[in-house]
Amino acid sequence: MATDTTTESGFGTVSRTKGIVFEYLTLASSVAGILALSVLLGYVFWDAFGMESAEIAWYGAFALLVVVPVLAFVAYTQRNPVAGEAALELFSTTMGGILGGLGTVTILEVVTGADIWFGYFVTVVAPLCALYLYGRSQPNASWVGLAMLGFLVLGPPIGTALLPITTTIVALIGGPFVYLFTLTIPGALVLRYVVEDYLELGDGDLTAGVMVAVALLAVPLVDRLPLVSRSVWAIFLTTLFAPLAVVVWKNLADRERRAGFAGPGVFAAGIGVLLVVTDRTALNGPTPWFDWQYVTTSPSRFADQAGLYPAIIGSVGIIVLVALITMLLGVGAAVFLEEYAPDSGLGGAVARFIRINISNLAGVPSVVYGLLGLAVFVNLANLGVGTVITAAFTLSLLILPIVIISAREAIRAVPDSLRQASYGMGATRWQTIRNVVLPRAIPGILTGTILALGRAIGETAPLIMIGVATTAFSPPEGIFSKTSAMPMQIFAWSSFPSQEFQHGVVAAGVVTLLVVLLTMNSIAILLRNKFEQEEL
Amino acid sequence: MSNTTDLTGDRGFQDIRESMYTVVFFLCAAVSVITTAGIIVALILPTITFLGEVPMSEFFLGTQFSPAIQPTVFGVLPLAFGTLLITFGAAMVAIPIGTLTALYLSEYASESRRAVLKPLLEILAGVPTVVYGYFALVYVTPLLDAIPGLELGTFNALSASLVMGIMIIPMVSSISEDSMNAVPDSVRNAAYGLGATKYDVSVGVVVPSALSGIASSFILALSRAIGETMIVVVAAGQTARFPETTSGLLNSFFVSTQTMTSAMVQLGTSDLAGGTTAYRALFAIGLTLFVMTLVLNLVSDAIAARFREDYD
Repeated sequence: MATDTTTESGFGTVSRTKGIVFEYLTLASSVAGILALSVLLGYVFWDAFGMESAEIAWYGAFALLVVVPVLAFVAYTQRNPVAGEAALELFSTTMGGILGGLGTVTILEVVTGADIWFGYFVTVVAPLCALYLYGRSQPNASWVGLAMLGFLVLGPPIGTALLPITTTIVALIGGPFVYLFTLTIPGALVLRYVVEDYLELGDGDLTAGVMVAVALLAVPLVDRLPLVSRSVWAIFLTTLFAPLAVVVWKNLADRERRAGFAGPGVFAAGIGVLLVVTDRTALNGPTPWFDWQYVTTSPSRFADQAGLYPAIIGSVGIIVLVALITMLLGVGAAVFLEEYAPDSGLGGAVARFIRINISNLAGVPSVVYGLLGLAVFVNLANLGVGTVITAAFTLSLLILPIVIISAREAIRAVPDSLRQASYGMGATRWQTIRNVVLPRAIPGILTGTILALGRAIGETAPLIMIGVATTAFSPPEGIFSKTSAMPMQIFAWSSFPSQEFQHGVVAAGVVTLLVVLLTMNSIAILLRNKFEQEEL
Repeated sequence: MSNTTDLTGDRGFQDIRESMYTVVFFLCAAVSVITTAGIIVALILPTITFLGEVPMSEFFLGTQFSPAIQPTVFGVLPLAFGTLLITFGAAMVAIPIGTLTALYLSEYASESRRAVLKPLLEILAGVPTVVYGYFALVYVTPLLDAIPGLELGTFNALSASLVMGIMIIPMVSSISEDSMNAVPDSVRNAAYGLGATKYDVSVGVVVPSALSGIASSFILALSRAIGETMIVVVAAGQTARFPETTSGLLNSFFVSTQTMTSAMVQLGTSDLAGGTTAYRALFAIGLTLFVMTLVLNLVSDAIAARFREDYD
């Protein structure tokens, strides 16, 4: 077949041009889609940051102060990849800490409130953590697992029964103290472990002490800041500032990684100098739609007052629930299919059926999942039209097949020799899974789950079908409260005909959504890199 | 070992615990089967009632779809036409580009270029579809409208299908590339030994050998395009059309079109309380869509399994 084409054109003559043209055609195709998307992304960022109002001189300053230094840093990371990795670590810890803090504030302050959180912390979370730690230190105590299951089942009703008492306690000590006891102090204990045993950076006790001291000493300062309550401070200290401090410390301690600070450093300095220059001179800078006002206010008919805040909180609340549900169910299903399911007989047939079923579910259009949610969660289970819980269940079912497939791959990547060694030591199947398989598979599972959550956060069609509001003027007040979501708000605004909305407000919404996605993906990439390094 | 060691292997309640974990994990896996059953039941029950109210011939053969204005008419043909039109447009973009991309990645690209290109291509599939819809409406349509001689509506099928084509490129390229990579080097070397050029090997040897994988990637991408909702809802409009003439067929790309998915969104945003024919029509269209994508996915699996070249 291959020789036919050449003999037709005459013996011994081979067209070199045809080969070269074809190679460049394939190369051009490979980059065509990427280029098209880059152009579109360029447009949307241009619109979101209101670049058309800036002067030529401002672009010059921007290129000189921000673009050139950042590009130089990127070029430098090509030669020193460790610095690039350190910069990525700093970036994703900062952004992930902000997202995690937002998620925690949404769940604890907006959705449940400090009193309910405290009640369940005392009866469910704290006993489970204590038992888990006890089980780690005393591997022979086989009752620990059962006791944990007991608390998992009995804890919630006991917590509900004790709510009047715990609520009274919270009313006495106040919300900020609840967060100090339930978040800051456990966070400090985790910090102690990470600093002393995991990263081996230095004295863990001292670090934990410093963190608690900072939490308390900063209170007078926090009280003076508008917008930031003591509770929010306690939450953000635990999710953002403490992890960031450890990452900064870790990267400062390493001579090679220290260069990674140059990336965020030149970026921040460039922006800072640019702002000062724009402010001091008569230079006309851009008028961004995507700004602090945009992410902290409610939607409005007037483009310059419109904000995305309720939709952001709605999306974060939904995604936190989806993460919990899919992690539990997805890992459980993957463990069953990889570790328990027999290869032959009736059990094998059942497992094969489940596998085929999962791969087919992954191909079902998302809008059909919306119909499932409408029929089952809205109309049958009566969870309410467009509530946080309905949206979370629907999106969980949607991404569950993807989570299961990636969790199965992560579990399969654990070498069989490790399992055999564990069985050889007399471990049971569950002990092998808990002590050998899952610890090694967790980074892979997390990577896959975060990528799937990225898909869930941008999904719109199923949310329309279950009646999620396109526009909400206040964030949800509980999991049974009606909500909006970022993609829904973008969808609603994109049908506004005015130029200000189409080229301003919506563009800023798209940028917000993409920034969240970028953060989630960079955390996933970081986890995967770490995982691959440990495999070697 | 001392005599006191218990070698009976009796683990007491540990055995109960082990079987309990088996049950818990099995239940987690069973959720996916329950989901499938739930989808099928949730779609079929309202559809049966719907077909009692609207005859099957009217639903499947009717060329009118107007659920909002009395008297309501529920013919699915205009919607199916819109879906096929936009899927066809997307395929015209994604199939050539995706296949050539796969060839470049598997035959021509150096290892370092592959490492850069592959994650970048995956980004194309990771951008939320509502964002793609916004791109099509706000940026692509005005760009195309600037071309002389092209009269485009604000909402049109052309820009929606172009953008959708970009979105499904990675679906075509990644599966095609996997099957091209599965072609063993010995086959390539045999062709080189006969004097074939790299072009001959790529087009004449690798593509035919990987044809089953390439075909199954096309079908999967089509199935994804058929089920795609938000791009169409945002950019293609809400006008159900069924062309009576061939000139109308060509013109359909330039005007507002409604697909099955965007009709579902239209019905879903107007009425969720249930109990009306329009509500049940939503499920009937959903079932049709579900069956179409399921059949395509199964066909794709079957082609990949049935015609796989075995090189062992």
